[in-house]
Amino acid sequence: MSTTLLPEDRAFDSHKSTRSREMKRYGFFPGCVAKESCKELFNSTMLLADKLGIELIELTAASCCGASVVNDVNRDVARVLNARTYAQAEALGLDDVITICSTCTGHMRAANKELLESEERMNQANSILGKFGAKYNGGVMVRHLLWLLIDDIGLDNLRSMVVRPLNGLKVAPFYGCHIIRPENVNGWESARNPHSLEDVIEALGGEAVDYAGKTRCCGFHIQLEKDNVAANMVGQNMRMAKDHGAEAVITPCPLCHLALDGYQQDSASRWGRTDLPTFHLPQLVAFALGVAPEKLGLNKHLIDPRTVMVQRDLIS
Amino acid sequence: MANIKLDIFRFDEATDTIPHRDVVEVDIPETITVLDALEHAKAEVDGSISFRRSCRSAICGSCSMNINGVTSLACKTNCKDVMDEDGSIQVDPMPNFQPMKDLVVHMDPFWDKYARLKPYLQPKDKDSDHERERRVSPDDMKKLVDVANCIMCATCYALCPVVSVDPAFAGPAAIAYAYRFIEDVRDSKRDERIAQISEDYLWLCAHCYACSYCPKHVDPNWRIVDVKRAAIKDRVLMNERGPRHALVVAKTIKQTGMLAETEVIQGTIGRFNIKGLVKITFLGAALGMRMALKGKMPPPFIKPIPKVDEVRTIFESLEVPVS
Repeated sequence: MSTTLLPEDRAFDSHKSTRSREMKRYGFFPGCVAKESCKELFNSTMLLADKLGIELIELTAASCCGASVVNDVNRDVARVLNARTYAQAEALGLDDVITICSTCTGHMRAANKELLESEERMNQANSILGKFGAKYNGGVMVRHLLWLLIDDIGLDNLRSMVVRPLNGLKVAPFYGCHIIRPENVNGWESARNPHSLEDVIEALGGEAVDYAGKTRCCGFHIQLEKDNVAANMVGQNMRMAKDHGAEAVITPCPLCHLALDGYQQDSASRWGRTDLPTFHLPQLVAFALGVAPEKLGLNKHLIDPRTVMVQRDLIS
Repeated sequence: MANIKLDIFRFDEATDTIPHRDVVEVDIPETITVLDALEHAKAEVDGSISFRRSCRSAICGSCSMNINGVTSLACKTNCKDVMDEDGSIQVDPMPNFQPMKDLVVHMDPFWDKYARLKPYLQPKDKDSDHERERRVSPDDMKKLVDVANCIMCATCYALCPVVSVDPAFAGPAAIAYAYRFIEDVRDSKRDERIAQISEDYLWLCAHCYACSYCPKHVDPNWRIVDVKRAAIKDRVLMNERGPRHALVVAKTIKQTGMLAETEVIQGTIGRFNIKGLVKITFLGAALGMRMALKGKMPPPFIKPIPKVDEVRTIFESLEVPVS
């Protein structure tokens, strides 16, 4: 029987609770989409890391996390693939693996939880890793960059680093399912009432828009399954955001970004025009921290965020 | 004692065109459940307030409703956990259903999806052929115990974002219940059942885990994955987009270590399904074209990650199907 863990009850992370806040080197798992169709996310993250004064060491030989989809084929493969990634981090002396995708976060944490909570599964993974001389000792913690911003940098510190405040830009948070659910896998904050993105938006000088769609699904994983279902899910959520006054959306997940940025035009016939530009989390943070906007790949978005940024006197 | 203000959705499909809200105040101990508070309001203040209830102990599944916007069983939710500082609690009918009267909704679409499963055991021989009951080993039974706890309260169905935009989707509860028969060793219709639930859009589950808030811990989200694995194991309706998608994702990870987006799109839609590809790649007002113009198309080929042989070793050790 599953149990819902309270946010502070991070049983499988607890061996890490005494970590030093001074640590500035992190293992970095960019994920497939940041290396393929959302390269602007990868680039913005590296520029942001510079501004934050942290070193993100990319795990270049890491594989895909399984993206929730390989679970449909085999119950073990995603866990063992991720164990291989953690073994690589450990071999580099890194005990933190930072992600920039909600789906990577959720599935890598799920794999780690299964490994740490079951000796049988850890042994299974290590017997396979042993075939190529690797071993995972269970010393890695997977976190999203969003959590790093709050836990390691700190909101007050972040606020003090802002050089381009967002001038009250009304930004709707869009979490992406896998960074919050299932709650007993993620558990970093309440899945029903998260506020980490809101806290970051406000630290940057923006105004966070509250709407029911913020914890709902973008439909990315079924965009190829049946026509228009994902587009309707996008339309439904963006309609809510727009009706609550949003001028833009921020998401910690590139899959959500692709869906929200890509499908609003297609959902307009049923949900009306919403045209909300969708920032990747590191893009907007990096912008507020002073990274030149032309370096952030804002021109790669289908719904150009520069229009609203001009309206708000954020760029000229 | 606390003064609890129940802010109740009021609507009668027989007489009303639009709903309104009534705030009903009741003085009751705050430790009681939302269902108790509603019972109290109905008994003491306004007998016309309508809601479903029976067992009052999370067994009958009747009293699911939205409490402060969260779909839950009213009998399993304590007032003190959900009331605001001033004692207010908002109660609404479950979403994804047509309201009938106040908190009562039309449940028919939910039951119809159950009925399509033929939710009863269909063994290959007659009961009379057996001298005694059909026996199931504890290990085989263990697989079914959790899902047999389903009380059909429809909380998962109400929470499902796919149902909210496409009512053709079977929904989490029906798929979990399909699993209950698919994995039952006494049943003889395993592949027919997999085919049936596949046709009812098993593969349209968006992996959002909204249904992980099951009040009985059936966790339909994991049972959906189990049914998909059963479909791939038994190779039922393998030429549909869903299983093709799962297999091509696995294949590209095995080949390159990465999820190769371009190949996944082609493999899911069908490389030679030109019409399908045009439709998806240029979905609606040419999403593919719009992405290409912005330089946002995924690369056509992916360079394998360093030490990709290790990834292939993992796939081979676990005998992961990739086609």
